Amino acid sequence: MGINCKTAVDFVSKKEEGKLTIVQRYQLWYHLAICYLCKRFYQQNNIIIKGIKHHAKSTTNKQLNKEEKDIIINVLKDNC
Amino acid sequence: MELSRNQKLATEWVNEYANMLYQYVIKRVKDNHIAKDLVQDTLLSAWKNIENYTGEASVKTWLFTILKNKIIDHYRKSSNRITEELSNTETEQAIFFDSADHWHKKAFPMDWGTRTQHSIETKEFYLILTKCKNKLKEIQAAVFNLKYMEDLSSKEICKELNITESNYWVLIHRAKIQLRYCLESNWILK
Repeated sequence: MGINCKTAVDFVSKKEEGKLTIVQRYQLWYHLAICYLCKRFYQQNNIIIKGIKHHAKSTTNKQLNKEEKDIIINVLKDNC
Repeated sequence: MELSRNQKLATEWVNEYANMLYQYVIKRVKDNHIAKDLVQDTLLSAWKNIENYTGEASVKTWLFTILKNKIIDHYRKSSNRITEELSNTETEQAIFFDSADHWHKKAFPMDWGTRTQHSIETKEFYLILTKCKNKLKEIQAAVFNLKYMEDLSSKEICKELNITESNYWVLIHRAKIQLRYCLESNWILK
């Protein structure tokens, strides 16, 4: 039985965690074969996840300024 | 003497670890003030419990463990509003899917071409990604961050945030659709 796009998008997330049954895996595979929009969603979703994971591990140059650090130092000192 | 040594240690801790913690948390919470508060809470919490620090892990590892728990506590607060957040599901979904649950014409995923192949590791991508992530509802962002930045499973996320599995799938589904759409509008099409 065919699935609609909303269900296909839902299955894309569940597939990542191996939460699909054999029938659902087939339904998703078949839907992605005939629906270029969901296929795009599927591919773009993988790109976004790759980007997010890279972002999680990347370094940033954002820093606390001296005043902000001094506030924390004083809080700790008050609790000596 | 003891007091002066502790005061020196407080300064050393902040100078050595505060920025490291801040750089970690700023990618995971929307609000800069909350990020700073979480850094302060983490250091204070460790400071107050320094007697329990066994030295088995490094101070850095210990602090990051505390910080991660603080972040989850912060996320958990947003899950208290889950009923309110989920009540808008149908309205928001109508933007993306038509009455037959196929893509709405206005929300057709566009062809991203080859632009993404080398640009997902650029500063520009991260800026837009952050902007788009900040547009998500707190609870959606929490679920998304725990899944993709902290690598937790759906089961672990449900347990941490005290939400049902069906609510989890709704939240992750909506977060992904909205994030993709926002990235497309602000990054690919610009």
